Amino acid sequence: MNQIITNSTNEPAVILRSVAKRFGAVQAVRELDLEVQRGALVGLLGPNGAGKSTAIRMIMSLIRQDSGELRVLGGDALDAKDRIGYLPEERGLYRRMRVGEFLIYLGRLKGLPRQGLSSRVEGWLERIELPGVFRSRCQELSKGMQQKVQFIGAVLHEPDLIVLDEPFSGLDPVNARILISTVQDLHRQGRTIFLSTHQMAQAEQLCERVVLINRGEKILDSTTREVTQRFSPRAVEIEPVAGIHSTRSALEAIPGIESVKATEDGRTAVLLVNERTDPHAVMSLALAAVPCRRIEIARVSLDDVFVRLVTEHGGHARQPVRGAA
Amino acid sequence: MSDNVIDNLIDKKKSNGFRFSRIMTIAIREFRHTVLTKGFIFGAILFPLVMFVVIGVMPFLLSNDQVPVRGTIVVADSDGSVARAIETAFARFQTKKETSIGSNTAAISDALEKSQRGDVAALDALSDITATVEVTVRRISVDDDLAGIRDQVQSGELLALVEIPAKLLESDPPPDADISLLVPSNSPAKTTALFARIARQATVVARVERTGTDLAKATALVREPQAQTARLTSTGTKAKENLELRFLIPGGFMMLMWIAAFTSANQLLTTTIEEKSSKVIEVLLSATSPLELLAGKILGQGFVSLLMLSTYGVAGIAGLAFLTMLDIVPLSSLILFFIWFLLAYFMVASIMAAVGSAVSDLREAQSLVQPAMIVMMIPLFLWLPISENPTGWLATVTSFVPPIGPFVMVLRTTGAVEPIPLWQISLALAVNGFSTIALVWIASRVFRIGVLMQGKPPTPMELLRWARAR
Repeated sequence: MNQIITNSTNEPAVILRSVAKRFGAVQAVRELDLEVQRGALVGLLGPNGAGKSTAIRMIMSLIRQDSGELRVLGGDALDAKDRIGYLPEERGLYRRMRVGEFLIYLGRLKGLPRQGLSSRVEGWLERIELPGVFRSRCQELSKGMQQKVQFIGAVLHEPDLIVLDEPFSGLDPVNARILISTVQDLHRQGRTIFLSTHQMAQAEQLCERVVLINRGEKILDSTTREVTQRFSPRAVEIEPVAGIHSTRSALEAIPGIESVKATEDGRTAVLLVNERTDPHAVMSLALAAVPCRRIEIARVSLDDVFVRLVTEHGGHARQPVRGAA
Repeated sequence: MSDNVIDNLIDKKKSNGFRFSRIMTIAIREFRHTVLTKGFIFGAILFPLVMFVVIGVMPFLLSNDQVPVRGTIVVADSDGSVARAIETAFARFQTKKETSIGSNTAAISDALEKSQRGDVAALDALSDITATVEVTVRRISVDDDLAGIRDQVQSGELLALVEIPAKLLESDPPPDADISLLVPSNSPAKTTALFARIARQATVVARVERTGTDLAKATALVREPQAQTARLTSTGTKAKENLELRFLIPGGFMMLMWIAAFTSANQLLTTTIEEKSSKVIEVLLSATSPLELLAGKILGQGFVSLLMLSTYGVAGIAGLAFLTMLDIVPLSSLILFFIWFLLAYFMVASIMAAVGSAVSDLREAQSLVQPAMIVMMIPLFLWLPISENPTGWLATVTSFVPPIGPFVMVLRTTGAVEPIPLWQISLALAVNGFSTIALVWIASRVFRIGVLMQGKPPTPMELLRWARAR
């Protein structure tokens, strides 16, 4: 697959400025600011009904925003359809159409030449581990297989910008891993990828930057690393060889430790570190104080951050929490 | 539905214009996936063609249906005159059964029917019939014991028992007196009909002979002459009147156009609803604009419609050529027919596409399609009155009423004895052409909003609001 030709302009691939949208009484998206740099892999996170799909549909120019500015690849998405790949949340196929024929049809709509298109489709089917379905009818495929076919439809024409709405939902772990790997490959080729998901583990694994929205409002916009650092609990997890009961006093004596919280089985504990102390220094001191099987800096998952922020902002319009960058 | 929601569903800016290759890609898919289905091939192409063939071949099949008639019939009459007349009729078959016209029992019945209408020559034609008819007539008296004869008829030993009441031979027979004809239960219908007609005819012959009148002369006297009708046109020429063709040709053209336009437009409705309900519409709209999608779909189904039109049209023209009647449909009428068809198709297709985009399933579509269908049924009701008077006020006025105008104009141009005034054709083209453009435009406005709408179907007023929305 060819590397994409980098556009000379430095304008981000996607720009939303104060974009708002309302469906009747429901404010689906409110004052959303967002930028997706060219070549980035950005995740749009949020619980069900947060406004992710609405935002994506506006980006795709399928629906119009009520207010605000929206630019995609330097203009309107309508003018750049051939450079955008889109996997909608609501999947759809022509049920009686053959898989190969369907993908060739989408490729032709996206401006691909007829010559070589069939082999390109075959190549993608092989790549995504769907060999032998070229002549199968879409209705003969399982739901997961259909989803992979639709994914191919979104990327077949090697677009500059790939917009994926919940690309992994409904997939089994094996197929999800295949798609994640493919998305990573596309990102490495320099394509801009913007995906929505409510599966935090996959977002954490994939995205270099995440945007979290809740009730149509952005509550987090930061790189994944910054999020984990920022929301790190400042704690050290330790599993002493002798167990917690006999080592608790030694651990509590380490400077900078606020408290020691043992697990129910008494084998491991979490050492909460105060704000003035470096957790790595605490880890060194603890290692010197007690022999242990395992000791590591406690990590926060994106899942934890998600739950915490959504809970904090549940149902109320708040000022968005911005990342350090 | 609020204006706000409508606005939300409208594309933010106009696209950078149609891309014809996209439209053609959509059209080709639409065409292939309609035409290459068993339902279409059998329902829209093969079945009608088979019907054409069957209707064409049936008379030939029937004409070769020889039914041999061999045996004895018993005639019970008061003086034997009817029996003699029946015997004479059957004797004609027996003496001239291998002659020229290759006829059969159906032809015999036909000849007898004609003779009843006063065509004496038709009676003579009976002698030219070659069907195997070898019937012996046995005469008995009405006073004889008929029970035994009936048993023989029942068992099939006799072909029939004909009882002629004496009253039937009087010069003023009572209206309630009938011939009694008994045949075996397995007697072929055509044979029975033949016996009945010969018995009726023989009774008339016997009755007339009793009065001493010459039957041939009497029949010739009461025979009604044929009227050769011609219409004197405004240019002074005589146009031969052919009532059957005057109604059938325009009706055939109009029905052909109606079926071709509606089959494809209905397909357009169905495929649009399918694309919405299967959610594939959003994938398509990520690759193409709603207007390109609409244009491609209408064009694709238009090709389907033209295929049907060509199939039926070629079959019809072949039929006319076979009957050496090609001159009744001049080339100018065919060209005009094609133009009227295009206008009719685009009007009907626009309506169906707009409705298909606005609903989520066929059941919802019915409530919106029904009013349109009622309007589109009008040409079918107008067929006979307009064919009767293609230049009358009804025909003239309805020519300028879209969307039925094109159908009316087809009835007029293929059925009129004298040319339709040029100004009427021009005005009808202008009015219906403008209406077609307007309907396509309105459909495109509704389509771009409707395809992304979910939930309850819109009312007709809401559809109008979508059309007006900027």
